[in-house]
Amino acid sequence: MNRKLLLALFLLPLPIFAQADSQWVADHSALSYHMSHPMHQVDGTSQAARGKGVCHAGQCDFLIAVPVKSFDSGDTNRDLHMIEATRGAQFPMIVVHARFPQAEITSSAIDADLEVQFAGQTAHYAHVPFQRTAQGNEVRITGTLPLTCSDFKIDRPSFLTVPIKNEIPVRVDMSWHAQ
Amino acid sequence: MDLKAASAAFRAGVFLLFVLIPNLASAQATATLSGTITDAAGKPVPGAKIYAHTASMNQPGGQSAATQTDSAGSYSLPGLALGSYTVSVGADGFTAKETNVSLTAAGSQTLDLMLTASAAQQLPNAPSPAPAAPAPATSAPAAPSLGDLGFSQQQTQANPKLQAMLEKRTEMLKIHQRLGLITAIPMAATLITGPMAAAKGKNGETIKEPTNANLDFHAALGGATATLYFATAYFAIRAPKVPGVQKHGAIRWHEALAFVHGPGMILTPILGAMAYNQENNGEKVHGLAAAHGPVAVTTAIAYGAAIVAVSWPIHLKFWEK
Repeated sequence: MNRKLLLALFLLPLPIFAQADSQWVADHSALSYHMSHPMHQVDGTSQAARGKGVCHAGQCDFLIAVPVKSFDSGDTNRDLHMIEATRGAQFPMIVVHARFPQAEITSSAIDADLEVQFAGQTAHYAHVPFQRTAQGNEVRITGTLPLTCSDFKIDRPSFLTVPIKNEIPVRVDMSWHAQ
Repeated sequence: MDLKAASAAFRAGVFLLFVLIPNLASAQATATLSGTITDAAGKPVPGAKIYAHTASMNQPGGQSAATQTDSAGSYSLPGLALGSYTVSVGADGFTAKETNVSLTAAGSQTLDLMLTASAAQQLPNAPSPAPAAPAPATSAPAAPSLGDLGFSQQQTQANPKLQAMLEKRTEMLKIHQRLGLITAIPMAATLITGPMAAAKGKNGETIKEPTNANLDFHAALGGATATLYFATAYFAIRAPKVPGVQKHGAIRWHEALAFVHGPGMILTPILGAMAYNQENNGEKVHGLAAAHGPVAVTTAIAYGAAIVAVSWPIHLKFWEK
């Protein structure tokens, strides 16, 4: 009985520390969308994303934003078409709100609910898995946003009358540090 | 020069052009709602939030879009599916206004609204339009907002004029793309019938065998090719240029190759007409006219390479849906 009490007293501080308020700022980021067409497989990458996170009262709220025009697919013409198709001049930012339990900020897997604002539309995605790895003072979070054209009412661009696939997954690779 | 044949070639080209272009330019079934928000004095209201949604916005197929007015009080909501919308407008210092609008035809529709001064109003039930991100419903006192991330106003500011320019550019380049692919068909046929064109006799008499692929047919195909080619070029040249964009990637090859096939498409018909005259005069094609074939082949190769360049990288996976 005494041993159990001792063990409980020993372990009790861990969740208390894990639940402490914290703020996070993104250091490095790479967001890549993948576009599929029977004739093309294109990836466009942006390293211009910025992010901030707040963990408070058992919940973490992270905000990530990236300018639409910062994505580079290796071809200017294609990038301009992408901006046009996604109404990127009218709605120049992709804004992602991620929300997950504060306890997961220290675990290797994060299960987040996302609210994504893109192309003037808002879409919600529940239980999106992210992987977390700690590297010194930095925390690296990787995962994939399961975006689709239809979620944001984007008319799918076509080539040779064949439209691109509806799915445009966005790979997220961001490093964060606690403030 | 056989004026009849040249005229037939030209008519064939023009016919193809006018039959094809209306189909290429067919509009999508979306509309753009735009207009100006003014106050009671008729002055524009910048920064007003406009939110349009269908009755079933939370159901599959429901539509919603949001934006805000620019410094001239103008707004634009492109890409709205046709249907009935409720449009809400709000701005600091004005009473929020709501009205219904029906988008029944593709294209642009104007909705100008006047706001009356009041205490600061919040737009009812409307998310903030990008770039201003709505704060999530959380009790956290310092939940991050877009303003915390340090983006410049230039990065986050909506630019409806640029959007309109990009849409016009895309429309024109879509037509350019389709016409370009169609042009490749008569171009290939012209190349194939070129060697057969010698079936016309040296003294001008028509040799009836082996096929109809004689000089006149070849010239008609060439005329159609040239007409379609220059129509294709028109849509690329006249497409709006986006300022401040440094081009890179395959598009540069696509454009560079135009400096080969462009002059080639001018030279080829001229040399072809010279060769045509020489053949009709019973002469063997000679001098500059003898370059008609090689110039045509070079032009076609450059044209094909330009299509490949703009399609790069190519991954042929037609079996994938």
